[in-house]
Amino acid sequence: MTILEICNLYKSFDSGKTFVLRDINLSFDKGKVYALIGDSGSGKTTLLRLLSGLEPVDAGKIYIKDKLVSDESTLISPHERSIGMVFQDLALFPHLTVSKNISFGIVGDIRDNVSEMLHMIELSGYDNRYPHQLSIGQQQRVAIARALVTKPEILLLDEPFSNLDENLKTALRQKLQFIVKQLEITMVFITHDVRDAIALADEAMFLRNGKLLQKGNIHEIFQNPTSDYVRSVYENLTTSAEQLLTVLSKKT
Amino acid sequence: MKNIYTSRNKIRRFKRDISTWSVWVLILVLLIGLPIYTIGIRLFDGPGEMWEHIVEHLLGLYLANSLSLILGCGLLTLIFGVFSAWFVSHYDFPGRRQLEWLLILPLAIPSYITAYAYHGLFEFSGSLPVLFRHAGIPFNGIDFMNLPGLILVLSISLYPYVYVSTRVAFLHQSNRLKEVSALMGTSLRQFFFRVALPLARPAIVGGLMLVMMEVLNDYGAAHYYGVNTFTTGIFRAWFSLQDPQTAIYLSALLVAIIFGLLFFESWQRRNKRYTLSAQFTIRNLRTPLKGKAGIIAMILTFIPFLLGFMLPLAQLIYWAILTWSKVVDTEFIQMLWNSFGIALSSAVITALAALLLIYMSDWNRLYGIRLFARSATLGYAIPGAIIAIGILIPTLAMDKFLIGFLQQYFNVTTGFIINGTIAAMVYAYLVRFLTVAYNPLEAASLKIGKHLSESSRLLGRNRLRTLLSIEMPLLKTGLFSAIVLVFVDVLKELPLTLILKPYHIQTLAVKAYEYASDEMVAEASMPSLCIIVTCAIIIRYLNKIISN
Repeated sequence: MTILEICNLYKSFDSGKTFVLRDINLSFDKGKVYALIGDSGSGKTTLLRLLSGLEPVDAGKIYIKDKLVSDESTLISPHERSIGMVFQDLALFPHLTVSKNISFGIVGDIRDNVSEMLHMIELSGYDNRYPHQLSIGQQQRVAIARALVTKPEILLLDEPFSNLDENLKTALRQKLQFIVKQLEITMVFITHDVRDAIALADEAMFLRNGKLLQKGNIHEIFQNPTSDYVRSVYENLTTSAEQLLTVLSKKT
Repeated sequence: MKNIYTSRNKIRRFKRDISTWSVWVLILVLLIGLPIYTIGIRLFDGPGEMWEHIVEHLLGLYLANSLSLILGCGLLTLIFGVFSAWFVSHYDFPGRRQLEWLLILPLAIPSYITAYAYHGLFEFSGSLPVLFRHAGIPFNGIDFMNLPGLILVLSISLYPYVYVSTRVAFLHQSNRLKEVSALMGTSLRQFFFRVALPLARPAIVGGLMLVMMEVLNDYGAAHYYGVNTFTTGIFRAWFSLQDPQTAIYLSALLVAIIFGLLFFESWQRRNKRYTLSAQFTIRNLRTPLKGKAGIIAMILTFIPFLLGFMLPLAQLIYWAILTWSKVVDTEFIQMLWNSFGIALSSAVITALAALLLIYMSDWNRLYGIRLFARSATLGYAIPGAIIAIGILIPTLAMDKFLIGFLQQYFNVTTGFIINGTIAAMVYAYLVRFLTVAYNPLEAASLKIGKHLSESSRLLGRNRLRTLLSIEMPLLKTGLFSAIVLVFVDVLKELPLTLILKPYHIQTLAVKAYEYASDEMVAEASMPSLCIIVTCAIIIRYLNKIISN
């Protein structure tokens, strides 16, 4: 079932002199994981900001569960979109404790929700710590818990793996896989490393200079890249092709 | 590609993006700009009766004196500010740590008070000539009551503007540049002239611009020394000649000069880069100076502090010992209370207005409104006398209307309702000092970034609740700095207070000016010292915050 749909999306920050995103058409199904892949300046973060309602679109339409949330005359506010978002810098409130960070977006029965979340991210007992008292991996999990506590149907993550070492990356991938499965949410994450997509995503979308180059099943794209850029992304992988195929075959 | 920027689409986007915040920003900016718009509009009424007389006999003098002041003070503050900044940021010598902040202290003394003190120190029967003659050294004093004297006094009073900005620039210059220059056989002196100085140019010019604005804003010192400038001319036209239109024309000319200077400053920075990428920056290391070289460096850097702070302070303390029993009474305590109360309330209101302006223009999604919002920060460039006149004109008109209205419809006879009130004065301070609060708050808000507030909004908090629960706790230091900076400026401000002050309320700055004007300059020392001590404590505190 399609939960999120983008039609003919355009975005420019200088009244059309240069376009950050051009004619983007995409759809996202419920319960699936999507990777947005591209270099710096390809428009990945802008796309997430448009989806979350933090930026208005210049042209085109965004639908969430068939409801129009963004177009030239509409901008539904971020918290009415059932979207959770984790920023690249995590944006944890530095003056609030872990439990207050997590409970920030909820009203009513806070205690149960917070302890449920803390349990899920394996940080029970860390309620009263402040963000600076946590490791980067723990901070990342708190940011994810905070985004999930309002029970969104779509989770957006901006470069969740960029500051992590290999061990932490693996742990986070496992955690995210578990979350998606348990909560049945749609997850869209940004990465510039195709290995993250291979390990976690059901589908990948390649962006370059604001244009969508290719989208689809990650295995199929690997077999049949339609542009030099996508081909070069796979060729530049340090992991050998055999290892990659092994990962892919395990996933499919 | 289809054209998505048709007029129809633009209107649809405009309707989508315009919000209550856009309207609020517009109202706030128009309110802040009102005094300047008033002067602009009144220019169309034509010149006043005295204008021809002024043009024929005085305008040349105003222009020559004001330009001489700008150039003279520019040169002297450049010498005092840049060299002391260079010494404390590139060398280590005895007393360097203390001098680093002591050199800022002349800012605690309003320049008109420094002017009183210098005259008292150096006139024939002043403290220093008398002291010298007692010691058997023939010294008849120095006459400061002229243009060169005013240039020197304003320069030693205002050089910290250049010193502060240049020191920051020097401290941020990477040591790598020094090392590269040394490898190429360049001496430290050559490095100063060929690398450090050109790289610090925007900071130096920025500091110089502030000096020039303050010079053009000065009324107290120029009036006391009998030097005719644009500002004294505006006062004369308005109060002595009773010709507001001429005052408006002089104000417009002065504003044109100031905007010319501002334009020059932005033009000289065009397309140039003066900073290194952060990745190439390593901390600036000071060269230790020992023995004779260290002592010479200490003496050289001590001179601006001695001239700008210690000498005037010593004279004021001497006067205060002579006159305090005459001056300090219940009225004086009331005056202290008034000054601090007005300064604090103005500072809080100005800081809150700056905070709202920063955030509301960010919340508004129309780019044009954001650009327009920046114009509200130009008030600092406009001399206090001009802002006061720009406020007097509309408020007098409103008062006239209200008095007539109340008389006609309610048979009530009343005096001025808006004019001569604390509210009008606080409004004027808001217009003039908004930039002073805006800059530290904007820096603090940029440091927080957008992602925290965006997270909060994604989690369901609206903009105002986000500001109160997330941004305000993190902006505490910035907000506090903004409040104390405005507080200091309001406490020292003379021309604006002089024009707009309610007649039954006295402030420290105005009282000091009145004593000096009534040939009771020694009595001016107590109110002056109250301003200086307060400002010095605050400057010390702010320097500590910035250093940390």
